[in-house]
Amino acid sequence: MSNKIACSHCHLEFDRSLMIEDNGHYFCCSGCQGVFHLLSDEGLDSFYSKASNTKLTPPTNQYEDSSNFNSPAFYDKFVKVNSDGFSEVSLIIEGIHCSACVWLNEKALHKMDGVIEASINFTNNKATIVWSDDILKLSQIIDMIRAIGYNAFAYDSSTQELHANKQRKEYYLKMAVAIFASMNIMWIAVAQYAGYFSGITQDVKTILNIAEGVLATPVLFYSGWVFFRGAYYGLKTKVVNMDLLVATGAASTYLYSIYITVQERGEAYFDSVSMIITFVLIGKFLEVLSKKNAADTLDVLSKNIPSEVNILKNEKVISSKLSDVKVGDIVVVSSGERVLLDGEIIKGDGSFDESSLTGESDPIYKNLSDKVISGTVSIDADIHFKATKDFQHSTLSNLVTLLESAINKKPKIQQMANRLSEHFSSAILILSFLTFFIWWLWPHSFETSFMVGISVIIIACPCALALATPVATLVGLSLGVKRGVLFKEAAQLETMAKVDTIVLDKTGTLTIAKPEVINETILYDFDESLLYSLVKNSNHPIASSIQRYLENRYEKLNEINFDEYGQSPALGINAKYNDTTLVGGNLRLLNKFNIEIDFKTQDTVFYFALNSTVVAIYELRDKLKADAKDIINGFKKRDIEVVMLTGDNKHSATQVASELEIKNFMYEYSPEDKADYISTLHKDNKTVVMVGDGINDILALARADIGIAMGSGNDIAVDVGDIVLLNDSLKSLEDAIKISKTTFGLIKQNLLISLLYNAVTIPLAMAGYVIPLVAAISMSFSSLLVVGNSMRIRYKWQR
Amino acid sequence: MDNWVISMMLGASIFLGAVALGAFLWAIKNGQFDDEEKFLNATKFDGEDELNDAIKQEQKKEALKKNYKPE
Repeated sequence: MSNKIACSHCHLEFDRSLMIEDNGHYFCCSGCQGVFHLLSDEGLDSFYSKASNTKLTPPTNQYEDSSNFNSPAFYDKFVKVNSDGFSEVSLIIEGIHCSACVWLNEKALHKMDGVIEASINFTNNKATIVWSDDILKLSQIIDMIRAIGYNAFAYDSSTQELHANKQRKEYYLKMAVAIFASMNIMWIAVAQYAGYFSGITQDVKTILNIAEGVLATPVLFYSGWVFFRGAYYGLKTKVVNMDLLVATGAASTYLYSIYITVQERGEAYFDSVSMIITFVLIGKFLEVLSKKNAADTLDVLSKNIPSEVNILKNEKVISSKLSDVKVGDIVVVSSGERVLLDGEIIKGDGSFDESSLTGESDPIYKNLSDKVISGTVSIDADIHFKATKDFQHSTLSNLVTLLESAINKKPKIQQMANRLSEHFSSAILILSFLTFFIWWLWPHSFETSFMVGISVIIIACPCALALATPVATLVGLSLGVKRGVLFKEAAQLETMAKVDTIVLDKTGTLTIAKPEVINETILYDFDESLLYSLVKNSNHPIASSIQRYLENRYEKLNEINFDEYGQSPALGINAKYNDTTLVGGNLRLLNKFNIEIDFKTQDTVFYFALNSTVVAIYELRDKLKADAKDIINGFKKRDIEVVMLTGDNKHSATQVASELEIKNFMYEYSPEDKADYISTLHKDNKTVVMVGDGINDILALARADIGIAMGSGNDIAVDVGDIVLLNDSLKSLEDAIKISKTTFGLIKQNLLISLLYNAVTIPLAMAGYVIPLVAAISMSFSSLLVVGNSMRIRYKWQR
Repeated sequence: MDNWVISMMLGASIFLGAVALGAFLWAIKNGQFDDEEKFLNATKFDGEDELNDAIKQEQKKEALKKNYKPE
């Protein structure tokens, strides 16, 4: 039997001898012990029975001082004052594993004096806490969360997000009312229509009419309010939109139905009122659901930039706010960190990865007095540099500003359905008036002519038209998600279907963005394990790819412990093992060790030498993605123009372009150049899709009609992109185009169906042949037709 | 057939339905469906203690609201 027992707090298992014993309980660390005692003191120990055996993260004591949370700057940014005068903050709670954790946090916070509300969302770990700031400070709340073994970060819950949630909730409420009422009206309508055929007295008809009227009233005035509002704003800007048609149609039908009910003249049209509103509301809701906010993107963008850097002051390294760093301050960057400010190196050297900014795939070596650029990542360099610009003027923050304007400049292609519904709405309203006047002048009673005029609006009321686009796009979006293509907004499907130019970034989009060994030249036999151990100890991209190569090629590789091991930044690695000197790196490293070799290639080379003799040479190149060529050919077949833009040098650009047979390519392009290139394409009336993955692509991504980002790319690029390819493969790029073309085709079919339906029924209505039964059946039927047609492609794609 | 039977049945069923709808709307507004995971787990934490806790919290809020004086 193992000697392991579980900690009483976190349930992680450790050896008995390592545990702290306390009254029959065992703890893995003093942190767990502390939390355990706190919970039993507070009477919250029922947490453990609720959590059963869920494993928790043991608490640590190493937190930054919580008094930071009380600073005015922090309050300014994150704490809001709500309408009751209480403070409110949004936090992300770290360490939530189960619903018992949520319970514990809420309970513990509720027990605090002054906390009014604490609600934690289990799905995304976001918490909203409302408290009275006179009684306690935010730091005490944070301390409490930390004391029970969790940690909390503040996040800026953007107003956009709040607004979107509120809007969604409003739609839920309205739809609940509308669906409830419509379903009940249908029951009553069944009685009404059954009576129509089998005979029914006017008394009963009136009773049924009244019941329908009671149910239809909230649908029209509560659920249907969005249409009245939409119609009003439309008229204000002198646009006849679908909302106006729905609003006039529903309202006049409603009034007319009241008239019938009061005058006891047969069946009222209340069922049509509620059905129209319900169907069109669902369509509108689907559209709201798939809309993305440009402002949200910018929010995430600034979140992505860490707010603190290490600076050297009075010989001591302290962390400082990014915005507080002044020109001339000395910033400390260690290997693996991101450079956040522009400056000049004053101490240290090493290589930097500038690929996200310039597209250059090879690491760049920088030495004293070289310039470092914000946004690049240090690979192996531990440096001090003097800031030459403050954050506001840095390259990175300039990019953010440029991005804002690029997002605003994005061309808006009006959707076909919107354009269509505008004309359609005006046409129907005019037809309805004409019908009314013709009937009236052709001597009929006012009553009859009014009824016929209204029946035109009712029959034309665009249920099918309103559902045509949203249902089709929804099917398209869900198809995309299944294939790793994430459309952020429904409207993009239509734009994407009209694309005629595809602009591709090279590094990371067409290529893997990792150097791969393309050629191995072995001059003398050697023990592969030596080289394997040498490269395994380094995290330089070239060393890692040689490691991968060896792992694939040789089966038995064992790790050797070297007597000495050293890395020279941007040169390579050297080690000593049993009197053998191992050297692995580039030509400059060989020169340093006075090793001679004569070898010529255009690619990146890694030399491996044992005791001053080069035994193996590896050539590395950023390889193309496997399916790149097929996909490019596929685009050409579809008559889509393909352009490659890269920040990389001429040599590697030409190489990739010739391999893929791309005639049109530009190299050494800066992020601004790329965006400008997109603008020139726009001037030629092209619909442009930009595909990219790095920070250097974000401007172009934002400015293109559709920006497609690689899922593994830079977070900012993923946020800016309109479409994200989750699995990075170019195959899904092709899928994206196929899906949008199919969906757009479907939208067209749906619109055609609903227009055909109208073409048949409107003349009938104008001739006065439409009875309520026909209206209700044909309306439902056309809507079903549209929905059914949309479902069809799902089956087509499933095979 | 007596018309009042139909009217009464219709009235009663619509009223009952409306009550249920009202409860559903209240629950949506109250944010009970905002977090599906929490919503599904809520049955686990639904006891006397939780009810007491909720009432205490309400009282605390009211008390604080009374004491709060706008400047």
